[in-house]
Amino acid sequence: MSNIVVLDNGGGLIKAGHGGERDPAVTIPNCMYRPLSSKKFIHPSPTAASATEDLTSAAVRRPIDRGYLINSDLQRDIWAHLFSSLLHISPSASSLLLTEPLFALPSIQRATDELVFEDFNFKSLFVADPPSLVHLYEASRRPYGLLSETQCSLVVDCGFSFTHAAPVFQNFTVNYAVKRIDLGGKALTNYLKELVSYRAINVMDETFIIDDVKEKLCFVSLDVARDLQIARKRGKDNLLRCTYVLPDGVTHTKGFVKDPDAAQRYLSLSDGSRSQPSETVKDMDRTEVMEEARDRKRADLAKNEFDLTNERFLVPEMIFQPADLGMNQAGLAECIVRAVNSCHPYLHSVLYESIILTGGSTLFPRFAERLERELRPLVPDDYQVKITTQEDPLLGVWRGGSLLASSPDFQAMCVTKAEYEENGSARCRRRFFH
Amino acid sequence: MSSLTKPITSSPPSSSPSPLRKKKNMEDERRMSTRTRKVAPRMAAALASADNRTQAALARLEALENDNAGIETVEINDDDGEASLDDDDDEGYMQKRHSKGTKRKTRQAKALEDARKAPRSFLELLHEANLESLPPHVPSYLRAAVGPPSKTSRRHFCTVCGFSANYTCVKCGMRFCCIRCQNIHDDTRCLKFVA
Repeated sequence: MSNIVVLDNGGGLIKAGHGGERDPAVTIPNCMYRPLSSKKFIHPSPTAASATEDLTSAAVRRPIDRGYLINSDLQRDIWAHLFSSLLHISPSASSLLLTEPLFALPSIQRATDELVFEDFNFKSLFVADPPSLVHLYEASRRPYGLLSETQCSLVVDCGFSFTHAAPVFQNFTVNYAVKRIDLGGKALTNYLKELVSYRAINVMDETFIIDDVKEKLCFVSLDVARDLQIARKRGKDNLLRCTYVLPDGVTHTKGFVKDPDAAQRYLSLSDGSRSQPSETVKDMDRTEVMEEARDRKRADLAKNEFDLTNERFLVPEMIFQPADLGMNQAGLAECIVRAVNSCHPYLHSVLYESIILTGGSTLFPRFAERLERELRPLVPDDYQVKITTQEDPLLGVWRGGSLLASSPDFQAMCVTKAEYEENGSARCRRRFFH
Repeated sequence: MSSLTKPITSSPPSSSPSPLRKKKNMEDERRMSTRTRKVAPRMAAALASADNRTQAALARLEALENDNAGIETVEINDDDGEASLDDDDDEGYMQKRHSKGTKRKTRQAKALEDARKAPRSFLELLHEANLESLPPHVPSYLRAAVGPPSKTSRRHFCTVCGFSANYTCVKCGMRFCCIRCQNIHDDTRCLKFVA
């Protein structure tokens, strides 16, 4: 058996590695960036070792727009760099398992096939859709769980470009029931950028920094009205305020959260209104000393730092209610209900019981909790709702792909280069049931 | 230079020169007029509605999908700057321009080539794929969209400070929560997304 490359080509991150392994060998941002000091666009280094790069005010080019591959020239550059200097493989001697988002347009599929076979000369190609891979991985982890016995699940993939709720049945994605919200991590970062730029410092060019802010400080609120009240308070009562220090390019090239403990204080806010007062009092005792010191060093614009209060939870909030942003789309809970309702009624109870959360945007703290709260009232009460989170939502799709690539009949499912040359793109695609 | 490339991208041949084989694969009824439109569907919707507020809201949503703030279009072809300088020279010397006729043609051809290869945005591709013409039972990108929420009520947050907003700006429709925020709004970005 030859070398199989598994490539999860996401809008935000490329996850790539060899089939059969547990973790991808390389995870890099799927973009090229141009720092202020340079005139050329350069490749980002793998995320694990990105401590030295200066990403301040870097311009970005991404080959993927709204989740779909539109710039194949740029993607070719990135893949060439990936295959030759990061993965060290020769495409002509390997097979490729590539993920492609659901409902890729025919013209995009054709461009992808051209890229794989004509530019890189891969021996064979298998195109998989992310939800079925996630299902495969989760089913393999619990061979006797409900998921693998019923062979169906509802995969909620909240990624960089958009959010999909996709029912999977017998390892196939039920494509007529898939529902999509056009909101993902990229839009959330841009929204946070817009808010911070208007309220504090202009950070419209700082994509990477604001990404970091979002990952470190944003969380999903369990009670928006209450949290808004808390965020309005002054001084030490405000459990949500925290300060982010921007890189200054001299002493530190990465931004950081000024007071990491303070950033975690929202966790002490309990859910029920009954037990809340005592908890907060306890919390105040613990942090009182710190508070005094902190009040003195409130965010000061000259020092390149900014405060976040309600932005911390209003940004992820948009996934649950896109209407607040002026989008005419339903929120995540309703999206799930609609996806389930498009399936056969026999499947409803099983689907609600095996919801799998994956994708980078589900990493916001309390995401699953909030989703369950919103979902429960919408689901008939004789159905159970069970939401499973993945241990590493970023890699879930890749791991499923790795599993599929290591199965014995993988080669038989692929389309080979010869078949592609014979039949063209459209014919070969039929094999993948797209 | 931009005046040179623009008509080329919107001209009919840009979509036609695909090989015959590919043409056959596409169903004939799904082919639409060969003229590609330059405007994205959302922008078209915005232009159709004379209402400033909808325009502003749509422009704002569109901005959320941008990679870089505002400089997107400039980045696409890198050798553009050089070429435009040459063009200016040509304008100056008319005779020279005639003598360089052949070279100019190649440059034009090159620009044509570039325009054909230049990445198009997803919305353009989507429009070109003409998914509306598919029969209603075929799942497609458009049908997978979740659709409007069942509750029509929308929470409003103050665009200045983020708290719940009870008031609407009479000029541009953005929300604010108090007089203080209104003043800030008026001073800074009232009508920003409309103009």
